Amino acid sequence: MKEKLAGIVGGMTADYADLRYEENRKTRISFRGERLVEVASYETSGGHVRAYAKGGKAVASFSDPERAGPMAEAVATSAALAGERRDKPLRLATAPTITEAFPIESPRDARRASVQEKLDLVAHYNEMILREPTVATTEANYDEFVSHRIFVNSEGAAVEYDIVVANILGFIVTKRDGVMQRVRFAFGGNEDFGRLQDRDAELEERIAVGRRLLAAEPAKAGLFPVILDPSESGVFIHEAFGHLSEADGLQNNPAFREKLRIGEPLGKPLLNVFDDPTIPGLPGTYAIDDEGVLGVRTPLITEGVLSGRLHSRETAAEFDEPLSGNMRAVDAFNTPVVRMSNICIEAGSDAFEDMVASIDRGYYLVGAKGGQTSGDQFTFGAQWGFKIEDGRLGPMVRDINMSGELFATLRAISQVGDAIEGSERGGCGKAGQMNRLSGKATPHIKIDQVTIGGV
Amino acid sequence: MHQLIEQAKQTVDQAELYWKRTHSLSVSYENNRLQEITENDLSSVALRAIRNGRMGSTFAVSPDQPGLLDEAKTAAAYGDPARFAFAPAGDYPSVDAHDTETERLTSQDLVSLCESVLDGIRAKRDDLPLFVEAEAERRELAIETTAGAEARCANTAVSLGFGAPIQGAGMPVFKSIDSVSPLERPDALIDEFVEWYGWTENKSTPKTGRLPVIFAPEASFLYLLPLWAGAEGDAVDKKTSPLLDRIGERVFSERLTIVDDPLDSGATGARPFDDEGVPCRRRAIVDGGILKGYFLDQRTAAALGEASTGNAVKRELFDGGTETKPSPWPIRLSVSPGDVSYRDMIAGLDEGLLVYFGMGFHSGNYPQGQFAVQAVGFHIVNGSVVGRLDNTMISTNIYQDFQSIRAVSRERGPAVGFLDVVAPYVLVDSMQVAGS
Repeated sequence: MKEKLAGIVGGMTADYADLRYEENRKTRISFRGERLVEVASYETSGGHVRAYAKGGKAVASFSDPERAGPMAEAVATSAALAGERRDKPLRLATAPTITEAFPIESPRDARRASVQEKLDLVAHYNEMILREPTVATTEANYDEFVSHRIFVNSEGAAVEYDIVVANILGFIVTKRDGVMQRVRFAFGGNEDFGRLQDRDAELEERIAVGRRLLAAEPAKAGLFPVILDPSESGVFIHEAFGHLSEADGLQNNPAFREKLRIGEPLGKPLLNVFDDPTIPGLPGTYAIDDEGVLGVRTPLITEGVLSGRLHSRETAAEFDEPLSGNMRAVDAFNTPVVRMSNICIEAGSDAFEDMVASIDRGYYLVGAKGGQTSGDQFTFGAQWGFKIEDGRLGPMVRDINMSGELFATLRAISQVGDAIEGSERGGCGKAGQMNRLSGKATPHIKIDQVTIGGV
Repeated sequence: MHQLIEQAKQTVDQAELYWKRTHSLSVSYENNRLQEITENDLSSVALRAIRNGRMGSTFAVSPDQPGLLDEAKTAAAYGDPARFAFAPAGDYPSVDAHDTETERLTSQDLVSLCESVLDGIRAKRDDLPLFVEAEAERRELAIETTAGAEARCANTAVSLGFGAPIQGAGMPVFKSIDSVSPLERPDALIDEFVEWYGWTENKSTPKTGRLPVIFAPEASFLYLLPLWAGAEGDAVDKKTSPLLDRIGERVFSERLTIVDDPLDSGATGARPFDDEGVPCRRRAIVDGGILKGYFLDQRTAAALGEASTGNAVKRELFDGGTETKPSPWPIRLSVSPGDVSYRDMIAGLDEGLLVYFGMGFHSGNYPQGQFAVQAVGFHIVNGSVVGRLDNTMISTNIYQDFQSIRAVSRERGPAVGFLDVVAPYVLVDSMQVAGS
């Protein structure tokens, strides 16, 4: 197959071309309440071809491998058409030509567990949740994605690599007296099936949170200092800052390119942020990206100063900055886009207790609940939280969503916790692609002021 | 396709085969330059089989993929007892959402459309980093079951979106339009974009408190997604819905009528059957504020002892496609127009918000009708727009705040992403605003 694909790419009339072909295997098992609503295990395949010609770019996806040749030809023609309409040609940064294989091997590989083992495990967790009297319903899923990818380009690169990720994840939905709350749980995030097992104690804690939230007060609207737990600080740095590190979003946005020049001070010297696909075990860990570039650790903020950016070969050339290996596609039916691997905040020196003690009236926010970014504005939610009053943790609060402006909020990070926690679940939407292979490793942080939307 | 169904009849109790083929061409401009031309030629198949009373699913790129039926049988061995039967032969309504002229569009045609939009905007504002994207798509969907359903339809769609990031903030002002047939340059929409962009030059933050809020059509997903989450069959079956046992009751202001209208010929999302091959029909969900019905697929209908409403769609909130199992969703929501213009709504407010997007919707407790989002839009003072909203959140429970709607506009437009919607501007009397 690799030789056939290389032949197609070699025959294209383009300045540069590449082709990625994937064979993907997915397994999904889903419970809703007491019912098993889906058991599905299946294989799909498909390809994606890209061409740069005369300074223009075109891409195509196809599901029938017999269409690879005709689609490649069409893409080369479209790229030339695009190039003729541009006054400023697109260029690619030079990248090493890789001809290696990057298989994934693990002693407790999820691929070797049987469907029955997977079903039994998720059924066990689902039953644990259903035993809680306040539970109205559940959502419990086993989700496994295995991808074998071949990448060839017109420069001679020929790479085979694997992606293997298994998760058990879902929601605990509790209800009492007209109040309903949803709490998330997620285990896994890599190829290790063992990481999905023996998680009863953590699940029990989450079930207890679902029960306690029914008696919690809704958060109040207004401006407050907050402490974010590692799950929340991970989503914050991903949403508020990480997306603006992705150079394809800045490439054609002159105002933001101006604001985000390397060397720009963004925060206090205690803030250090980097992206790293090489940390073992996190959801966003990989050896090579979907453009044939090796993943590397990229510093993004060093001692409060913007120090790096995430790139494709095209954006690295545009910005004249180093390659980072962050071009990724969720599958063959999507073109790669620049996206974070594992975004991390380095540990600081502040103990959690000291952070709480520094706040007269504010919130401690726990448990990521998703977020969204547009330009310099961001929002994100918390699954639960606690009031902080006079330097002490107070009662639990619910229904918390917050928002802010990136630059002011980064400057308002005034304490960084002394212990890091890694995420077990990714989930990042960009360019119509929902990427589950997106990780975080962050400590507690304190932000002096954010806007809380509440009652 | 037919052959696989015939084979299935020999070896399983029931089977349902879903086959979607799409061909799309798109052209995108960023900062006034052609960034990328994209072509997709995709085929995908879903097979559900019931064997020994248990159901399993499998997926492939073509019905000819070897071993497809065996994979479904294997999955069924682990599956839960099937509680419903696949669709029988149906009497499908006639829907025209296809134009062969759209199928003939080329990359060059889309390039010309995008450049005509750029020229149209630049004639009025030549200082903006404009983005434009045009796409032409043909979709064919076929569903067959061993019970005799044979459903086929073909849709075409041309979609056009354009806008520019706000100087200094990077958030975009954008407009979009779609059509079954090839599009001409939408001059009225371009004029509106230029006017709205002009409103962004100043920033303004209202004081924290309760204020009237106008939801533009683009932002209608903010109240329609919570409505879906409350009216979909799973929430009703699990008794987690705030709309449980409320059919026939007032849930919103009498000014609000919301119809699921899959049969609207000429609309890009119109279709004669849902993703389970069940005939679609036009149906009021909310009529004059009164709740009239839920969204049911075959699974949730069986659980509730009712019939499917033809609302099975292969999607989740952020994901979807052939590999997603069907669940209950609206097909195409139409919010009925009112009798005032949205400009009169603005002129009539002492202070209020015009919101065209809300960020962070999915982080809220929307299944219960609540959301707390960063409001993207404009601040209105003394009947005029004074600037774009800055650092402003709105929070609501739609089943409380949407009881009191002051006005609904005669202008209607599409919602942003998430749902296929045509909606008017809706002026809600009072909503919690977190600002300065």
